Amino acid sequence: MTVISRGWGRLTLPGKLVFTLVPLLLAVTVGLVAAIVLLGAPLVAVLTDNLPIVRFVVAVTIVLLMTIPTAFLIIYMEMKIIALMNLRIGPDRVGPFGSLLSVVHGLKVLMKEDFTPTGADATVFTWAPVVVYLASVMTLLVIPFAPGLYGQDMNIGLLYFFAISGLGVVGLLMGGWSSYNKYSLLGGLRSAAQVISYEIPLTLSVVGVILLAGTMSLNAIVENQSGWFTDWYVFQQPLGALIFFIAATAEANRTPFDLTEADSEIVAGFATEYSGMRFGFFFFAEYVNVFIMSALTVTLFFGGWNAPFPWPFETGVAIDLASLGIGLLLLVAIAPVALTLLFAAPFWIASTRLKGWHALIIGFVLANLFIVGLLGAWAYVELDWVAGILWFMLKTYVFVFIFVWMRGTLPRVRIDQLMDFAWKWLMELAFLNIFITAAAIIIVEQLRS
Amino acid sequence: MTTTSHHDAPLGPGVSGSSDDPRVALDRDLGVFEPVPPYPPRTEREAEFYTLADGQLLINMGPQHPSTHGVLRVVLKLDGERVVDLDPVLGYLHRGVEKLCENADYHHVISQVDPLEYVSSLFNEWAPVMAFEQLLDVQVPRRAEYIRVLSGELNRIASHSLFLGWMALDLGGLTPILWSFIERDEIVELLASLTGQRMLFNYFRIGGVNGDLNHDFMSRLGDWMGRATEQIDAGMSLLNENEIFVRRMRDLGTIDTAQALRMCFSGPNLRATGVPFDVRRAHPYSVYPELDFDIPTRAEGDSLARYLLRMDEVRQSLRIIDQCLHQMPDGPIMAKVPRLLRPRPGRAYAAVEAPRGQYATYAISDGTHQPFRMRIHDPSFIHLQAVGPLMEGHLIADTMAIMASLDPIMGGVDK
Repeated sequence: MTVISRGWGRLTLPGKLVFTLVPLLLAVTVGLVAAIVLLGAPLVAVLTDNLPIVRFVVAVTIVLLMTIPTAFLIIYMEMKIIALMNLRIGPDRVGPFGSLLSVVHGLKVLMKEDFTPTGADATVFTWAPVVVYLASVMTLLVIPFAPGLYGQDMNIGLLYFFAISGLGVVGLLMGGWSSYNKYSLLGGLRSAAQVISYEIPLTLSVVGVILLAGTMSLNAIVENQSGWFTDWYVFQQPLGALIFFIAATAEANRTPFDLTEADSEIVAGFATEYSGMRFGFFFFAEYVNVFIMSALTVTLFFGGWNAPFPWPFETGVAIDLASLGIGLLLLVAIAPVALTLLFAAPFWIASTRLKGWHALIIGFVLANLFIVGLLGAWAYVELDWVAGILWFMLKTYVFVFIFVWMRGTLPRVRIDQLMDFAWKWLMELAFLNIFITAAAIIIVEQLRS
Repeated sequence: MTTTSHHDAPLGPGVSGSSDDPRVALDRDLGVFEPVPPYPPRTEREAEFYTLADGQLLINMGPQHPSTHGVLRVVLKLDGERVVDLDPVLGYLHRGVEKLCENADYHHVISQVDPLEYVSSLFNEWAPVMAFEQLLDVQVPRRAEYIRVLSGELNRIASHSLFLGWMALDLGGLTPILWSFIERDEIVELLASLTGQRMLFNYFRIGGVNGDLNHDFMSRLGDWMGRATEQIDAGMSLLNENEIFVRRMRDLGTIDTAQALRMCFSGPNLRATGVPFDVRRAHPYSVYPELDFDIPTRAEGDSLARYLLRMDEVRQSLRIIDQCLHQMPDGPIMAKVPRLLRPRPGRAYAAVEAPRGQYATYAISDGTHQPFRMRIHDPSFIHLQAVGPLMEGHLIADTMAIMASLDPIMGGVDK
């Protein structure tokens, strides 16, 4: 033992690291190999037998993880776009153009003290943000992002969506009730009144789409809209789309319907007493809701992942890489160098002041961008889901922008105006929409037969 | 729940009755986080107000509420969202300025009154300075009067553009406040190049003003005058065409002429009810008789009228500034006034038309170097009377809109 301890003592820090890590890694490798050999086949068999469950677990995990960058992105978008509308600069310190500010906000929220006010109902107070957040995240599960890229394809997808998004209000009410603060209470009750009222026009406005599509599965609804952009349901259901978007704004508690957290009236509504990550969950849920409402508008009325026009060319990149033989090796070896030189040459020739290696760096960057672009274009043409997710995200973020735009422009409505609007206008218009759609369907069927 | 009163709430043993002491709040029973004074009711009104009927609740709006325009505290008695009764509580910003003025010599008074209505400080200086000039029989040079009018009207525009932004913010609009702050900031920088300060100018002197127009100020002013109308129209266009804004402001907080006169309203709030009373015309002072401007009025008397009227006034102020620049005479900017002023015993009253209404000073001299008594009549304080009658029966959201449209500044109210 003394030999070993003396030898260990003579080692420098890198030596100590190597002598610790190498045996550890060896042991882990041996263990993993043994585990795969012994358990691999049965494990794979179990997983393949229960593929729906595995798929569900993976989908839930991905959806849950997806909310965080989505919320960060939308928060940053909101900060920057509203700043530009206000003739301000907005965030510009953390990261390029301040783009990492929402990450820093997230860290700040995590580090802040998280306290429960005296008199609050601690259990309900703690669980309220969880309910709100989970309700908004769970609805993401049925949204089809691209062909084959969805959490779960339910034949009652739309119904599931409304059922779960309606749960969120329970969380808001819990937060408002348990905070032991009258402003919170008012905010919670406002949110209950508002969200329940607007759920009716929201649900009624999509009945037209359900009638046209003949299904409540979101995947089927999207597939029905494939082809040219004229096949999108917004052209058959303009009124329904408008009602849906307005009601969705109210459902997501966004300006001009952000009465639940009207800062000039009831301080911060249900979130008045919340701090730290509990507030962070409310905050996240709001922006995830914005994304979900935009995504659902796109799915129902704007063709989902469908491109506005079908790809006009016959495509089929029929390159059998294996047939190239040794040429493939040469291609892989030579193409990067050749492209780098090719892109560097114009810079080197055009500017005498540019040093050779500067030109090479520019060429390298451009060559990489070129290759990535080439691969992306190939993926867009060849892989359905790449094109699908591209169009889906593009359309969704257009609607997210509209939400942000409204926030920058519009003042808030009053609670009685809000209720009048839901019950006296939107609901009647939604019924009218259903009636017209049903009548039109019957008339068209009569004409066809 | 039956009718309850919170006065019999137990205080902890050996605890003083101060409601500011955090230990008191913690020692009390949890049901007593109510905005109730820690003493038994002293008047019938108090007893009635702090007794809740079934389903009512008291809510403390302010003094740290995001939109009470300073540190006003309004105890609202709510039935759901509807305000049944309310009780404004003043005095959170009381600094005893009137008493301080009685212990300062006449020149020092100017810097004491500056922070009263902190968004239109020049008018705070103007009224006392005019009163003291009456006491001393000082004739102010005409150039100084023109400079006073010019800088005062600039300050009026700054104050009104701030009003526009704050009102929009109270209604939930995020953009107008930043747009109007751009305009206000330009004016404030303008005045800073003239007076040396952005907010509390300390510029008017007894017998004149502190500094003559300088090149910096004039070049900035010329630059700004070119764009002023455009900027104001841009700020207004955000709100005037907005259906939500107009629907919320129209027929909200309507006050009729008789009630406004009974409450001693003045300024834009009175003119919005159709009374063309403006101190600049009714009791002319300075060089206003020589200037050509209209007194805009509106008949409706609601919040929208108050807002639109202020915007009309901004246009008239621009006209006045233009005329001041054209008619500005040469000459001295200060009368010959001794360092230590000892006016003969007597009393003087002077009123100016501040952005919020008639701003007046009443000063009594006893022949010493300090005013014996000095009282300030502040329009915000007068207009705050209307908060009760106007807000009753409205929703919480409207209380803030009404407050914003009356445009009180708590610095002036609490003095």
